[in-house]
Formats: sequence, structure tokens, C-alpha cells
Amino acid sequence: MKLVDRYLKAVGTYLPADQRDDILRELSEDIRSEIEEKENELARPLSEAEQEAILKQRGNPIRLAARYRQDHRTLAFGRQLIGPELFPFYIKVLSFNLGLTFAVVGIIFSALVFSGQKITFNDVFSTCAMQLCIQMGIVTIIFVMVEKHLNKYPDRWNLRSSGGGVHLDLRFEKNFRFKFASDARQVSRFESLSTIVASAVALAWLAEVQSHPFLIFWGAASFLKLAPVWSRMYVPIVALTSWNITRAAINLARPQWTRFRRISDIALQAAGLVLVAFLLRDGPWVALADGVGTPSENLLRVVEITNRAILYSFLIAGVISAVTMVIKVVRLASDSRRSAPSAEAWSARKERS
Amino acid sequence: MYVVHYMPPTTNHLELFENLRLELRRGSLILAVLAALRKEQYGYTLRKTLADHGMAIDEGTLYPLLRRLETQGLLVSEWREEDKRNKRFYRLSPDGKVILKELLVEWQNINSSLNGLL
Repeated sequence: MKLVDRYLKAVGTYLPADQRDDILRELSEDIRSEIEEKENELARPLSEAEQEAILKQRGNPIRLAARYRQDHRTLAFGRQLIGPELFPFYIKVLSFNLGLTFAVVGIIFSALVFSGQKITFNDVFSTCAMQLCIQMGIVTIIFVMVEKHLNKYPDRWNLRSSGGGVHLDLRFEKNFRFKFASDARQVSRFESLSTIVASAVALAWLAEVQSHPFLIFWGAASFLKLAPVWSRMYVPIVALTSWNITRAAINLARPQWTRFRRISDIALQAAGLVLVAFLLRDGPWVALADGVGTPSENLLRVVEITNRAILYSFLIAGVISAVTMVIKVVRLASDSRRSAPSAEAWSARKERS
Repeated sequence: MYVVHYMPPTTNHLELFENLRLELRRGSLILAVLAALRKEQYGYTLRKTLADHGMAIDEGTLYPLLRRLETQGLLVSEWREEDKRNKRFYRLSPDGKVILKELLVEWQNINSSLNGLL
């Protein structure tokens, strides 16, 4: 019944929490009744393929779970763009992205206000409106594409290849699959491709931000610039980002190289920590722009507050990164011990052969 | 003189028919479920009963519908053991019986009206 459990687990992920157990209990009973009846008819246990066929008939776990939800909101401009199945996830991702973006915008504007800079309503409104448009545009386009794919290929999900979940395949070509869920035996190609795209965008941004400081400081670029420490750190940062792209490209071609990915991630995180240590040592990180002339006290305060905010961000990022790295190392070590055959098992196998 | 154009069924036509057919069935499903639950049954046997009477319904539609009807007070349910397995049995509530009676009268009226039109 492994497949049934896996299917139920997948449905459960998308069910409303307060009804999850009750619905799964009933659904489980229904599926097992059907399997039992088929087994009685055939007078033999059902094969995995036959069980899978029964589950396939019940449909995509996301769609099945959505029918139990009371929330049937959709996004539509004339025709429906994002259906009720994906809408709650769309709202979650959008809220998270917007929350994060507005928090960053809030910190920057607060630093400017506290240092006595004049901030007009127009400055705040135009920055927020631009961020809102960008985030909404990107997130909406991604979800519309996923919705289209789900509608076009409702049967493209599988239970058998995973290490514990149901995968939605975004298959653009034969034998080339993108998977949403993480697989213990494979690195998702969807994730590898996302890493390549995101890192490539970061590289382009890094290259441009040196000559176009407004890309990082927005309105404050007229009096702020990146401190010289960033020119010294530019090459190591580009090297680390390129390393990440290379790792993702290798995993795109060889998704089964999960150990390589884990070791590479740990090494990347360690190198990142070293980089943060150098950055902390060589601060400050923000300076007054060249054309400012004799700076007012307010401007000096902006620089000071911004540098302090960056210092705290580096410290927090360093601690989180170090803890994550230790967890990853411990997990890797314990998984390696688990997968290595014990001495007794090894001698028993030798005796048998 | 009338000229009758025959249009072979296209994908759009079939899709349209399917959508209309589903819409037509959706209204009658509630009546079918309520009628079938005059006798207590659990989900799987209910689904089979409906299918045997030509009202096949997939579980993704049936179970949410049963939950909705229970929330509306038309059904009552209880978990009970049968054949060494726990199953959720549904039956009509007193309110459900009243509503079913009223819906059946309405159904007969619609039926006779339609018969008159057809």
C-alpha cells in the first residue's frame, strides 16, 4: 500500500488543516475498499501498476484536495487565468514576496527618515507601486504558466519515481522532466534550472551595480555608493556564483548526483562564510558618493545607519549560514553511515556468495 | 424551401455538449445522493449504488458533496466498524427527509413541464 499512502500524503499536503485527518481517513477507506474489491474479483493482490491506475483515476492530488476547500477564488481577466486549485498558493507566494520586498523598502526609507532626509509621499508611493507591479507580474506569469500546464496535461503526475511524494511533471520534451517536489534520489531539474536563471540574473546585476548604483540604492544613489571593499570582493563573489551555476548545470544533466550536490552545497556555504568573514573584517560597505562634496551631518548619519544595518545583516546571515552548514554536514554524515553496509551485513553477504 | 445544414461534431461542439451535460447532471446529483441515503450507507457503497443506477460520480465530487450536505444539516454521519474496518456511514437527517420530499415534488413538476415542452 506504499503508493496509496504516498497519494494520501500528497493530497493531505493541500487539504485544509482542520479537516485533513478526517478527510484522509475517509479517502483512505474508499481507496482501500476499491482495491480490496478488485483483489477479490481477480483473486490475487493488485500489482503496483494496477494500484497506480486506480489512483490515477482519482486524479491529480492538488485538484482532488482543492474540491474539499471552501475557498473557490480564482484570478480571471475575462477568462480564468489561475484556478481555485492554485489560487491559495499564488496568494501565499505573492504575500511572501511582497512582504519581503516591502520590509527591505521599509528599512531603507526608515534609515533615510531617521537620518533626517526629506522623503516625499511620492518617493514612497512610486517605489512601492513599482515593486508591486514587478512582483505581481512575475509571480502571476509563473502561476498562469503552471495553471496552463495543469489544464493541458492533467495526468502528468507520478507516484512511483519519488522518494516519498507525488511529483508534478512539467515535461516540455520527451524524456526531459521538471519536477516540483524534492526527491531524495534526484535533484529536481526545475530547481536546477531555477538556480541557473536566478544566479545568472545575480551575475548580470553584480556586473551592472558597480557602474549603476541606483540598482541597489534607488533614490539614495545620488549621495551613496558602494565602498571599495566590494571591488576587492567582486571576483570571489562572481566565482562563488559561477560555481553555483556550474553545480546546477551538472545536476541538470545528472539529476541523480545528489551526493555531489550536497557536498557542493556545503563547500559553497563554507566559502560563503569565509567571504562574509572578510567582508566583516574589511567594512564599512557603503560610502558617500563622489559628487557629494562636504557632507552634511544628516548624510553622514545615513551612511552610518546603513552600514550598521549591513553589519547586523551580515552577522545574522553568517550565524544562519553556519547553523545550516552544520546541520547539512551532520545529515550528510549520518546518511553516509546509514547507506554504508554494516560489518555484519557485509560478512553475511560474503558468506552467502 | 428549407435547407438543412448538417454540421459534423467538432471538438468545440463535443466540449460544449460535455459542459452542458455536466451542468444538467450536477443539479440532479444532489437529489440522487439524498434519495440513495434514505438507506444508511458508507461512501464506497453509495458510490456503487449511484453508479449501478446510471448516476456514476467520482469520489472527488462525492465526498466534498457529502460534507457540504452534512454541514447544511441534511445528512448525519458516524464512524463505525464493519468487516474489521472503520467506515463512515451516512444517512438522511430529519431535515434532509423533509427537503428530499420537497425536492422530489419540484423534480416531478420540472419533469412534467419539460415533457410538455418536448
